[in-house]
Amino acid sequence: MASDPKPLPGNLLVALFHPWTWKMAWRDSRSQRLRLVIFSLAIVSGIAALVAIHSLKASIEKGVATQAKALLGSDLQITSRRAITDEEFAKLAAMSEDTSREVTFPSMLKFPAGAVRLFQIRGIGGPYPFYGTVDTQPPDAWKRLQQEPGILLEQALLDQFQAKPGDLVELGKLKLPILGAITKPAPRSGRFSGFAPEAYVRLADVADSGLLGSNSMSSSVVHLKFKPGVSAKAEKDRIKDEVNRSFRTESPDDRRETIGDAVDNLQQFLGIIALASLVLGAIGVAGAVHAHVSRRVPVIAILRCLGCPRHLACAIYFAQAGALGLLGALIGAALGIGLQTGVLWLFRGELPLEIAPTPEWKVVAQTAASGFAVCCGFALLPLLKIRRISPAVTLRGGASLEGQPLRALPIYLLLGGLLVLLALNQDRDWKRSLAMVGGLAAAFAVLALVARSLIFITRRIVRPRWPYLLRQGISNLHRPHNQTLLFLLSLGLGTFLLVTILLAGRLIQQRLDVTQTANSPSIYLIDVQPDQVDGVRQILTDQKLPILEDTPMVTMRIQSIRGDEAPQGRMGRREFRSTYRDSLNPTETLVAGEWHKSVPPGGPVPLSMEEQIAGEIGLKLGDELTLDVQGVPVKAKLTSLRKVDWSRFNLNFFMVFPPGVLEDAPGFHVITTKTATPAATGELQRVVVDKFPNVSTVDLTLILKTVRDILGKISGVISVLAGFTVLAGLPILIGTLLNGRDLRLRESVLLRTLGASARQVRAILVIEYATLGLLSALTGIILAAGANAALATFVFKADPWPPAGLLAAAFATATGLSVVGGLLLSRGVCNHPPLEILRSGV
Amino acid sequence: MSSVSPTTSLNHEPKPVKRPILEVRDLRKVHRTHTHEVTVLRDVNFALQEGDSCAIIGPSGSGKTTLLGLCAGLDNATSGSVLLDGQPLEDLSQDQRAALRNRLVGFVFQSFQLIPTLTAIENVLVPLELRGESGRDKEAAELLKQVGLGDRIDHYPLQLSGGEQQRVALARAFIHRPKILFADEPTGNLDADTAGPIVEMLFRLNREAGTSLVLVTHDPALAAKARRVVKMSGGTIIAEEVQSHGE
Repeated sequence: MASDPKPLPGNLLVALFHPWTWKMAWRDSRSQRLRLVIFSLAIVSGIAALVAIHSLKASIEKGVATQAKALLGSDLQITSRRAITDEEFAKLAAMSEDTSREVTFPSMLKFPAGAVRLFQIRGIGGPYPFYGTVDTQPPDAWKRLQQEPGILLEQALLDQFQAKPGDLVELGKLKLPILGAITKPAPRSGRFSGFAPEAYVRLADVADSGLLGSNSMSSSVVHLKFKPGVSAKAEKDRIKDEVNRSFRTESPDDRRETIGDAVDNLQQFLGIIALASLVLGAIGVAGAVHAHVSRRVPVIAILRCLGCPRHLACAIYFAQAGALGLLGALIGAALGIGLQTGVLWLFRGELPLEIAPTPEWKVVAQTAASGFAVCCGFALLPLLKIRRISPAVTLRGGASLEGQPLRALPIYLLLGGLLVLLALNQDRDWKRSLAMVGGLAAAFAVLALVARSLIFITRRIVRPRWPYLLRQGISNLHRPHNQTLLFLLSLGLGTFLLVTILLAGRLIQQRLDVTQTANSPSIYLIDVQPDQVDGVRQILTDQKLPILEDTPMVTMRIQSIRGDEAPQGRMGRREFRSTYRDSLNPTETLVAGEWHKSVPPGGPVPLSMEEQIAGEIGLKLGDELTLDVQGVPVKAKLTSLRKVDWSRFNLNFFMVFPPGVLEDAPGFHVITTKTATPAATGELQRVVVDKFPNVSTVDLTLILKTVRDILGKISGVISVLAGFTVLAGLPILIGTLLNGRDLRLRESVLLRTLGASARQVRAILVIEYATLGLLSALTGIILAAGANAALATFVFKADPWPPAGLLAAAFATATGLSVVGGLLLSRGVCNHPPLEILRSGV
Repeated sequence: MSSVSPTTSLNHEPKPVKRPILEVRDLRKVHRTHTHEVTVLRDVNFALQEGDSCAIIGPSGSGKTTLLGLCAGLDNATSGSVLLDGQPLEDLSQDQRAALRNRLVGFVFQSFQLIPTLTAIENVLVPLELRGESGRDKEAAELLKQVGLGDRIDHYPLQLSGGEQQRVALARAFIHRPKILFADEPTGNLDADTAGPIVEMLFRLNREAGTSLVLVTHDPALAAKARRVVKMSGGTIIAEEVQSHGE
């Protein structure tokens, strides 16, 4: 029974909802579905990475928002580098419902077997934490610590030093029994570094240790608990006004912001790689759509001949591209959810807060939709060319998909807008988002430029005298619709990312390896009081260890600049640890002004500042400033600016004074040396802790090991994400090889008809795939070597030449991947009877 | 479009000649490249009455196919006018011309031009589907039966021989009862044994449906079956014959 004719849809949007469009799209995809689905997988990894990163961020933010107080342990935390007086504490206590005091400082602990190690000691008095719990083994150990002398340590350290509850450890003059192991620590104060493990003692016992003098590197902390309804923000302002302006305060909101900032930074960094992966995937899908539509030019011309309007023809292929994008987005979203919940489940015991491993559906939907939109946006580039296909192709044939770059300009603008929106999703700062998208576009443009140049050069270098098989194999790269550029982009980007990560990791490892540089210290002896300097130097001399540096350190604050002007922001609150000496050290360079070896009579004290910090404070040469050196005002004049290589492990300072000013100010010395073996380090630590218990021996190799471990983990995360980009490239590689299969089949049939053996046909294919692999590797390696040279020259001051072995391995891997993949996907090319192919008109 | 069965519609008597279905006036087509300008057609004038048939013959490069494409609105003329069913094609947009083709025109091509991903019956149904008509599978099957492919309606073009593909193309050309049929070398890709039945079928369907026919061919025997024969050379019409046997 025939139905009444219905008018054809009048525009692309309406056409997309017309049932015939989808019916035709489905029918048209019949022989191509596998290829199209493979290409759709290209966006899976990008969307999965974005969904996982955004969802993880949302989960962490949700967890932090609900558990911010438990992350701080109190309603307000007050920290001071100098001791908080009883009067100040009384005022603080009067403002709050409950208080706890804490003193924290680095110190050496001596274990029963004689081993010593640097710890961050936390002497806690009172019922801290007010929110959240500290878990110990045995469970009552934390409660016992508030009532009796003792110490709590991490279980891993007890194992390392073969100590057990009940054993005595030495902290200065004290011998404290181990009460148990910490399984969930108290919230850390933001300013303590994580480089030394924590040890908990009773605040009442700290004074008896004899470790804390007036100049010690300690911090005093007061934890406050307010009555319900009291605003921490208002109390912060009150404390600054009524108690002490120099106190550093932190509320649960501040901590939430700090964690939020850290998560934001991580998300932004990882987001760039994820975005690159998505863009590569979307380019892959666009490439697939282009190849597909190119093959469909005759079909589109037939449809146009039979009365199909242009927008309806466009709609058919837009529907296919949309379906591909949707499939990729859905699989990507599912994978992203799996990654997010998997990561949260995997680290469930190691996170400082409880985060439920449940999907963040809103984030998933938003991210997947954005990824889908980007994919469709890229697909528009080839799809809009459909409008230019003339129905006259049915009469003449041989037409290709052509477009005009200017006509595609609105699409590029749309794509740029979409990507900026996606970038804004992970960084609300539009300037940074623009920069991120611009950088990404530039990176892809450079990659494409290098790839195009290599293709061009390859075309030019083929010589008629070369063997036919070699010429034919290389020339195959330039056959129409071969998608050589897309292949090079996808494999080249993967090679670039992986090689860059490996090279950057190598540079970092070189820099962290202190044993490589003769004059780099490996041991810092800190908190050496002025009357202990000679004794410590003597120990080093006795042990035949070099004294690399012996530097006095005095704490000060900027009181005013240029007369009465108060320094703005954090610089006004910041405490500077400064030194005095008459010469520059090897890691410093004078960049402006004059270096003073002594204080000129009558005038202000000459001061040398590190150039960047001077810029941050807003100081220029000749400016005068008043420094508060622990209560004593010192007038100084900025007379020189220094450039400091902070990447070296020498002792460096923002402010350096000439000798003759700070000698009498309260302070301590830091002495550096270098040990050859861990045994020598252990021996030095033992002797120093015996004679000078307050002196901390910081083993730089141990800290660097921690840094290396952290960098290793970060590098692991980056590598995983880079792996995602490689994964995004994989379907593109397979898809482009599959797309070229028909052409190769036809060519091989022609060659065999003309008398070529199967072996010769295979040789041509191997040469073609090997050339593709080599060019891809070269594309990636040229860029990676450039990035490595820039990093080595401008950041690490290292050898800019990458190791040949690594590059050779990259070449071999990329070429091998191309040849093996190509041959696998070309199986059977030599087995088809020529007549069958010629008749089928493939 | 009413839903009349194909058998009924194809068996009625030829309509009396009433008015031109196709008029070509001073048609000129010039191909321009960066360096060259080639005049493919010049000063072409002719008209075709409803139900009439016309063969365009001439050597390769004489402009036959170009003329056919311009008459069907597949390409734009450089100057001159083509009126299809009274409508000047140069005044219509690409999509309006497509709609007009869908309503009035049937095509048969030298290289069949079937959609490879559609089965025979799906290919035949495309012109109807483009008009938003559904549920006419039986008519399409009947038409395929009339061209001798009743048992191959679900085959894809690759599974059919050249002759069979051209028969599917014939069925597709007539399924929507066009007023005019353009055939470009319909037997050009077929051997003599296969071509014979196709030509017979083309003229039978044309006669039964009362469709006007414009046929481009190299084959004098095929051209002789049309009522009028237009001879082209160098992009212009050099002679026109009216055959006595024609309708």
